[in-house]
Amino acid sequence: MTTSEAVRSRGNAAGATGPRSPRGGAGQARLKSRPADRIFFGLSLGSAVLIVVILAAVATFLIVQSIPAITADWKTSPELSTGPTAGYSSFWSYVAPLIWGTVWVSAIALVIGAPIAIGIALFISHYAPRRLAGVLGYLIDLLAAVPSIVFGLWGIIVIRPLLLPLTDWLNQNLGWIPIFAGKPSTTGSTILAGGVVLAVMILPIISSISREIFLQTPRLHEEAALALGATKWEMIKLAVFPYARSGVVSATLLGLGRALGETMAIALIISPSIGFSLRILTEGQNAQTIAANIALNFQVADALQRKALIGTGLVLFVISLAVNIVARFIVSRTGKSGGPRRRVQLAPPEAASLFVANDPALSPVRGTSDKAEGASA
Amino acid sequence: MLARRGHHPEGNTVKFKHVATAGAVALAAAIALTSCASTPSATPGASNNATSAATPLDTTLTGTITAGGSSAQANAQTAWSTAFHTQVAGTTINYDKSQGSGGGVTNWLAGSYDFAGSDAALTAAQQTSSQANCGAGGALDLPAYLSGVAIIYNLPGVTGLKLSSATLAKIFTLQVKTWNDPAIAADNPGASLPSTAITVVTRSDGSGTTANFTTYLHDVQPSIFTQAAGTAWPVAGTSGQQGGSGVVNTVTAGAGTIGYADHSSIGTATAADIQVGTAKTFVTYSAKGATNAFAAAATTTPSTKGDLTQVLDYSKITNKDSYPIPLLSYQILCTTFKDPAQAKVTKAYLGYIGSEIGQAIAAKNAGSAPLPAAILADVQKSLALVK
Repeated sequence: MTTSEAVRSRGNAAGATGPRSPRGGAGQARLKSRPADRIFFGLSLGSAVLIVVILAAVATFLIVQSIPAITADWKTSPELSTGPTAGYSSFWSYVAPLIWGTVWVSAIALVIGAPIAIGIALFISHYAPRRLAGVLGYLIDLLAAVPSIVFGLWGIIVIRPLLLPLTDWLNQNLGWIPIFAGKPSTTGSTILAGGVVLAVMILPIISSISREIFLQTPRLHEEAALALGATKWEMIKLAVFPYARSGVVSATLLGLGRALGETMAIALIISPSIGFSLRILTEGQNAQTIAANIALNFQVADALQRKALIGTGLVLFVISLAVNIVARFIVSRTGKSGGPRRRVQLAPPEAASLFVANDPALSPVRGTSDKAEGASA
Repeated sequence: MLARRGHHPEGNTVKFKHVATAGAVALAAAIALTSCASTPSATPGASNNATSAATPLDTTLTGTITAGGSSAQANAQTAWSTAFHTQVAGTTINYDKSQGSGGGVTNWLAGSYDFAGSDAALTAAQQTSSQANCGAGGALDLPAYLSGVAIIYNLPGVTGLKLSSATLAKIFTLQVKTWNDPAIAADNPGASLPSTAITVVTRSDGSGTTANFTTYLHDVQPSIFTQAAGTAWPVAGTSGQQGGSGVVNTVTAGAGTIGYADHSSIGTATAADIQVGTAKTFVTYSAKGATNAFAAAATTTPSTKGDLTQVLDYSKITNKDSYPIPLLSYQILCTTFKDPAQAKVTKAYLGYIGSEIGQAIAAKNAGSAPLPAAILADVQKSLALVK
C-alpha cells in the first residue's frame, strides 16, 4: 500500500513540476492567510529542506572523509600497502574492479528479476481475479519488508545448495560461454546464487511500481483495442505496454538502485575476489561489489584504509544517484508531456489511424479527459 | 490489524529481555562461584572470597568503561564484564565488538575508548601517534585472550585426519587439489582417502584469525606459503566466507571442504590434528595445548616501558603437549589517562581480565585457553605503571 501511495505522489510531483502548483496554491491562500496555513506550510517546507540538507551532509561527509585516501600515494603509504587495500597502485585501480562487480551482480539480478516482476505486475493488474490480485499484491509488498540479513541467511542455507546441480549442469553443457566457464563451485557461494537472492529482493520494487502503472492504462484504450478485435495479449501489447513503457523502465532502474546498494545478502552469500570477472559459477573468481567489500573489511581497516573504503562508498553513492536521477527523469518526462500523447506516437501507426478514423468526433474529447486523468493519477 | 500485530512481538521482546537479564545474572553468579571453586589451588584463599584476584578488587569503584575492538574477544568480553559487574556493581562496561580490531584501535587512538581490544599489537607508527593522547609513556599492549586456530574439514568417511605443516601450507595455497594426494596420504598412513576435490574455505572479511594463521603458515613453511601474512586472505581462488561462523557453516555444509577458524567457535565441526615440530607428531587442539604453545613460543618484545607485545617463534613449539597454532588477542591502553579516576576503573577491569579467575571465566564461557601464569604476572606489573 505504501508503495502505491509513493507512486501516486511521485506522479503528482512529476505532473506538477512545470507550473509549480504547490507554490501557486500557497499564493492563493496567502490572500486570506491563517496561522494554520502558515504553520503547515512552514512544516512541509522544513521537511523538504531537511531532506536536501541530509543528502548534502552525506555527500560532504563522503567527500571529506575519502579525499585523504583518494589523493594518497598508494604505492608508498605504509597504511594502504597492508590489509584490505594491499597491492593496489592507486585508489582508482582499487575501485575500478569493485565498480565492475557492483554493476555485474546487479545486472545479473535485474536479468533474472525484472521479467518475473513485470510478469507478476501484469498478472495482478490484468489477469488475476480481483480477490487474488489483492492478496498477491499484499504478499509482494510484504516481501519488501523482509530484512536483507534474512535474505542472506536464506541464500546461504537454501539457495546455495539448491543451485548446485544447476551450477554443474550449466558448467558442463554451456561451459563454452564465458560466464559459465571456470571450475564450478562446490559450496554454492557463486554470483548466480547472489543474483537469484538479489532478484527476489528487487521483485517488490519493480513489481509494485509496474502494477500501479499498468493499472493506470486508460480503460478506453484497452476497450478500443478489444473492440478492434484484439485478443487479450494483443490488447496488452497495443494498449498497456506502450502506455507503461517508461514507467516500467524507471521501475526497473529503481530496482537496480536497490540492487547496487545491497550489502548483507551479497556479503554473506558470495565468495568474493576483487577483479574483473564475468564468471558466475565459480568460487574464487566472483567479482566483488562495493557495498559488500565495505561491510567485509571495515572492521579490520585502520584509519586510512577506512577512508579508502569510504571513498568506494562515495563512488557507489554517485552511481546510485545517477541511476535514480535517470529513473526520475524518465518518469517526469512522461508525466509532463502526457502518457497518452507518447502513446499515440509510439503505438503502431495502423492502430492509431484506425482509432482516430473510427470516430473522429469522439476521440479528441476522450483524449483530453484521458490526459487529465493521466496527469492527476 | 497492523497495530495489533505490532504490539505482540514488542510485548514478547520485553518479556524475553527480562528473562535474558535474569539468566545472565544467574549465569554470572554461577561463573564466579564455580571458577573460584575450581581453581582453589591456583589462587590461595580464593575459595572463601569471590573477589580475590592477583590484586584485590576494590568493589566500591564506580564508573563507565567504554571500549571496543576485536570480535574474537566478544564472547570473552561478555563473560568478563558480566562477572566484573556482579562484583563491582557501580561499574558499567560497554565493549563494542562491531568495530573489529582496526576500528577499535582507530577509535582508541582518537581518544574515544578507554581501551581497545585488538588481535594485533600496535604498529610502530600507531605507538608513536598514541603519544598524542597517552603522553610520553605511550601505550601498552597487554595479552588478554588466548585460543587456537582450528583446521576444520568435512570429508565423509574420513575422521581423525592428520596434517603436517607442509601439507597444510600446500592445501591452503591450492597446490594440493584432491584429498587422495600423496602429501595427505603420507600424513595419514592406512587411511582410505577419496579422490574428492578439495574446497578451501577462508575468511572473506579481514580478520585477526587470518592474520594469526597466515603468520603461522608463512613462518613455518616460508618456501611453500610465500604470501605475506595479514588480515586479508592472500591466496586467490578459495571460497571466501563472511565471519568465523560463515567458514564453519560452509565447511560443515560442503563435502571435501577444509577451512580455519578460532577453535572456540567451531561448534560440532571436525578439527584435524596438526603436526607439531618437525617430526611426525600430530596433536589435537586443547586449551592446555594452546597455553603450553604460548608459553614455549612467546617472547615479550616491548615497544615502550611495560609493553607486553608478544612475538611468537613457531619453531619453538615442538613438544607434543602443545598445539602449534595459538591465537592471541590484546587489550591496548594508555600509560597515562587524562582522568585518574577513569584509569583506576579501567585498571581494575583489565586487572580482572588478566587474573587467573578472569582467564578461567573466559575459558569456561568463551572456550578460550588460559594465559600462562608468568605472563599474567607481567600484565599485573604493567598495569601497576598505568596512572
